[in-house]
Amino acid sequence: MVQMEIREKACRGCKFCIDVCPTDALAFDEATQKAVVKTVEDCIGCLSCAYLCPSGAISHSGHHVVKNFYRNLYFSQRMEKFL
Amino acid sequence: MEDIHEIRKRRRTLQETMNFMAALSAGIEPILGRGANSMTMSAGRNLGRKFSENAAKTDDLLTAINEVRRVLEENHCLWGFEPFQPSGQQDMITTNENGETQLLLVFKDCMIRQSLFRFGHPQQGSLCNMMYGFFAGALENIMGKKTRLDIKHAGENACLKVLTVTA
Repeated sequence: MVQMEIREKACRGCKFCIDVCPTDALAFDEATQKAVVKTVEDCIGCLSCAYLCPSGAISHSGHHVVKNFYRNLYFSQRMEKFL
Repeated sequence: MEDIHEIRKRRRTLQETMNFMAALSAGIEPILGRGANSMTMSAGRNLGRKFSENAAKTDDLLTAINEVRRVLEENHCLWGFEPFQPSGQQDMITTNENGETQLLLVFKDCMIRQSLFRFGHPQQGSLCNMMYGFFAGALENIMGKKTRLDIKHAGENACLKVLTVTA
């Protein structure tokens, strides 16, 4: 089960997270002018809100972790000059 | 049990191939424009048709989706997906204004996304369209109907797509 937390002090009320969420799991609290978690069960764990938040106020737990691709360090070092 | 070194070797080969595919798709897009999407969609559809040649036929969308999953697993494709029902939605399968059946799918572990991120290629490009083609081809065999797989949201850790079955 995905858990989501928005640190109230860090939230600037920019609404970026609300706009990016594809499942409307977040809402805007007019009284506090901050984002709040509306329906956490709708969170698919895409983490777009956390990546987009300018103040890094959003954190997730219990979400799936995508298996990272194997990184061949030798190959990556060789590729660096092309990137 | 298969030798661990052999598994790692095969995984590395797959991943480097996928990275190459991502670079290739990112490279053809500026040259071919929208044609790149048609090309990869067609390739995916052919693959979907080929893989699902012997798949069980059904009219039920959820059973068909499970059959696609089985087909992918049988062919060692690491494309985990699951149907998604938002809390405010009555049923998992809905009907749009055109009378078409729709189902939301969440793609969590996607080797295309990982390949794209490896070198910073954008999402929702021609390689993602290959997945649409795969579903269209496989469901054409399984359900005998035309389908679309539209990307609703391409996220960093998961993607939300809408599967539409034409009436």
